[in-house]
Parts: sequence; C-alpha cells; structure tokens
Amino acid sequence: MVDQKQLIKTAKEIVSREDVKYIVGYKQGTYGFVTSPAFAYTPEDVESFIYNPLCKKNLAVYPILEEKLPLKRGEEEDKRKIGLVVKGCDSRALVQIIQEKGLVREDLVIIGIPCKGVIDLKKIEKRFPNQTEVVDVEENDNSEYIIKIGDTVHTIPKEELLSEVCKSCEFPNPPLYDFLMGEEVEVREKEVYSGLRGLDETPIEERWAYWEKHFQNCIRCYACREACPLCYCKTCMADMLDPQWIRRSVNLSENTAWNIMRAFHLAGRCISCGECESVCPANIPLMELNKKLEKDVKEMFKYTAGLDTEEKTLFGTFNPDDPNEFIM
Amino acid sequence: MMIQEQKGEFEPNIIGFLCNWCSYAGADLAGTSRIQYPPNIRIIKVMCSGRVNPMFVVNALQQGADGVLIGGCHPGDCHYQSGNYLARRRMAVLKVLLEQLGIEPDRVKMTWVSAAEGKKFAQVIEEVTRDIKKLGPMKKIRRDNEW
Repeated sequence: MVDQKQLIKTAKEIVSREDVKYIVGYKQGTYGFVTSPAFAYTPEDVESFIYNPLCKKNLAVYPILEEKLPLKRGEEEDKRKIGLVVKGCDSRALVQIIQEKGLVREDLVIIGIPCKGVIDLKKIEKRFPNQTEVVDVEENDNSEYIIKIGDTVHTIPKEELLSEVCKSCEFPNPPLYDFLMGEEVEVREKEVYSGLRGLDETPIEERWAYWEKHFQNCIRCYACREACPLCYCKTCMADMLDPQWIRRSVNLSENTAWNIMRAFHLAGRCISCGECESVCPANIPLMELNKKLEKDVKEMFKYTAGLDTEEKTLFGTFNPDDPNEFIM
Repeated sequence: MMIQEQKGEFEPNIIGFLCNWCSYAGADLAGTSRIQYPPNIRIIKVMCSGRVNPMFVVNALQQGADGVLIGGCHPGDCHYQSGNYLARRRMAVLKVLLEQLGIEPDRVKMTWVSAAEGKKFAQVIEEVTRDIKKLGPMKKIRRDNEW
C-alpha cells in the first residue's frame, strides 16, 4: 500500500518548486466510491490528496487537455512543469505520448505509484448500490479489500472487485517516473484477459451477433475518446465534416465505423488502462478490441506500446519481414 | 446494384484502390493487352498504397462494396520507398480487427502487381471476385439510407 503521508510530502515538495505550475492527483469524491482528480497549485491544496484502490482514473489525460489561451501582447508563455500522480498504466500512457511527441518529458514531473490493481467501479457499485456517503476502501496484506461503510466493515477478496484489465496487467510498475512511492511490486502471474478467453473457438457469425448487440447500444457520446489518454488529436476524425469520415446518425453502420476507427487508432498505442470501458455508458466491452489488437500486434510485429520513449511508433516504421501471408 | 439483384445470381461489387505507379499501370496493361477479367471491380487510383487509410476500406464496405482490394508495388519497388510496407502493416492490423468483430477479414484483399504484370492483374481480379462471391453480399455494416 502506498504511504499517503509520503505521497503528500513528496507532492508538497514538488508543488513548492518554482518551476512547477500545479500537480494533479486524486482526492476523495463527493459521494460513494467515486474519487476525483485534484489540482494542487499550493502546498495547502496537496493536503487533500489520497491514494487508494479506487483511484482508477487515468490522470495522463490532463497535461494534454490543458487549455492554452492566446497570449496577450508582451505576455510570456507559462512554461512551468506539470506534476502528475501516475500508476503503471498511466506512466506507460505518458511514455507513449512522449514517444509520439505529444508531450515533452522535461515539461512533466512524474510521481510513480507501484500499483497493485484498482477496483472496477461498476463491480463495486453493483455490490453496494446507491451509496451516498463517502466510503473508505483499503487493501490489506492478504489480498482483501476492507470497505468501511458507515459503522460496518466489509472484507472482500480482491479478485471479486479487481478490474479485469488489472488481472492481466503486465506492467504494474511505472516505467517512467521521477519519484517512486514505495517499493516496486511484483508482477502478477500472467493471466489471459477475460474477454479473449475462448475467442478462437467462437465462430465468426457469433462474434458479429455479439458486437452487433453492443454497437446498437452505442450512443456515440465519445466518452471513450475523452477518457482515453492517447486520443488527443486536436481535430478528431470523427468530428471532421470535410471529409466526413463517419456520419452523425446514430445507427449500427456508423457506430461500427466509429468503433473500428477508435480501435484501429489505438492499435499499438493502447496501454490497457481500461478507462474507455469503464466510462462507457452503454457498457460496450471496448477493451476486448484493444486487448486483441495489443496481443496480435505483439505476435506479428513484436511491439509493445509505452515502454521506451525513444522507440519508433508501430505504424511509423516497418520491417521487410512483416507477415505477408494475406497478400495475394 | 438493383439490376444485379434482379438477375438472381450474386455479382459482387469490389472496390480496388490501386497505386498509380504499379498496380494501376498493371491494370492498364491488362486493358491494352485485351485480357479478359471480371467486370466486378471499380478502380480508384491512389498515388501509393500507403495512401489508403483503413477508413477508406470501412467506408467502402459501408457504402455498398462487398470486397476491397488494395494493390501496390512489389516490396522494395515502391515509388515512395516504403509506402507499401507501411500499408501492409496497417492492413494486417485492420484484418485482425475485422476478424475480432466478426466481419470476414477476407473481404479485404491486398496484392502486389507491377506495371508489367497485366496477366497477374487479371488473375488476381478473377480470384478476388471468386472469393467474394463465395462470401456473399456484405450486409453487416451497410448504410441503410442511400442519399
């Protein structure tokens, strides 16, 4: 478990530095199991920082979301750094963005957290529905979550609430950080992602029936795009009008086109944080697409996203020996 | 499309994205050499197979194509050095994605045809038409409204 005091102490030191603008961390949400991002501009703001297994949100989206207003005459650009609290997957997202030159490493101060897995909000809310009070969750050494709701204390095995992506996580330790909170954790025993199990046996017609059902529910809110740390194009292809890649009508054809586009644009870039799936209001299992691509890209091109900032991107490079069985 | 449905036998619509320097010239050679090949392919010339965005393929399938063929230069022959290699990677990933979704990945075909291979071009078109005919019409992600 991450020592909260150590986190706050480090964050305070960072935010007091002159070259740091603000630091993004987690704070207690307003109700139930929700945690919300906290922006600390002063050491006092840091006091509200927490870290517990409910901190699932990927904070790597924020340095890119930051709005840069046009400068007044004679005004200079604020070039101070941004601090971030990141888990293993979030850190990989940053590596991937830096690799694509979306961010500059020197502009970031990264507090890495060795992550033991986070709770799937949808699972815990199903278990304890309609929580209005703020709930405290901790993890003990026996792989159990201790959930304090009011005066009652629930002890629940970790596996029941753990996010599906965390169960197959290969990189719980941040590959890129300036300060690491606590000791590096052991990598879990490798497990196949639940959505990919038994996929090879599923005939192709059944697969489409499955996805058709899900894509019909898609309301094209683009929450998956907004939550994704790697969907950061200034103008998304989905928003373009000329050419209009996908039409705006919400029907099966356009929804499928959108979901193909989203998944394809994350091929070789997705770092499996599972944010897209957890924010999806229609409960579309988007990670099944991402994970499948991640797995096959690894097999075909021996490529894993988000590990080395100097590596070339998957589609920006090629190898003459790439698979070519499908070429006629 | 309407006429084909009336005839009874399924005649597929195939969109071919052919690169300006090799495959398109190959198609041209097939034409000038008067080689017979099925008329199901509609050719769109692109400057390089690397120009083909995967969304071109998806859009073609949405708008009435039953299959898509991407033609480029042979590896190492690309006019732009590496366009066909990059296209190959993209299409390999797109096929994986389509397979995962349950859309037959065989609807997306890729081939290398040089400017001198008019005969090979005709063979490829025959093969593609035969394969797509077997798969049948693509109705999964077809747009309902044609306007």
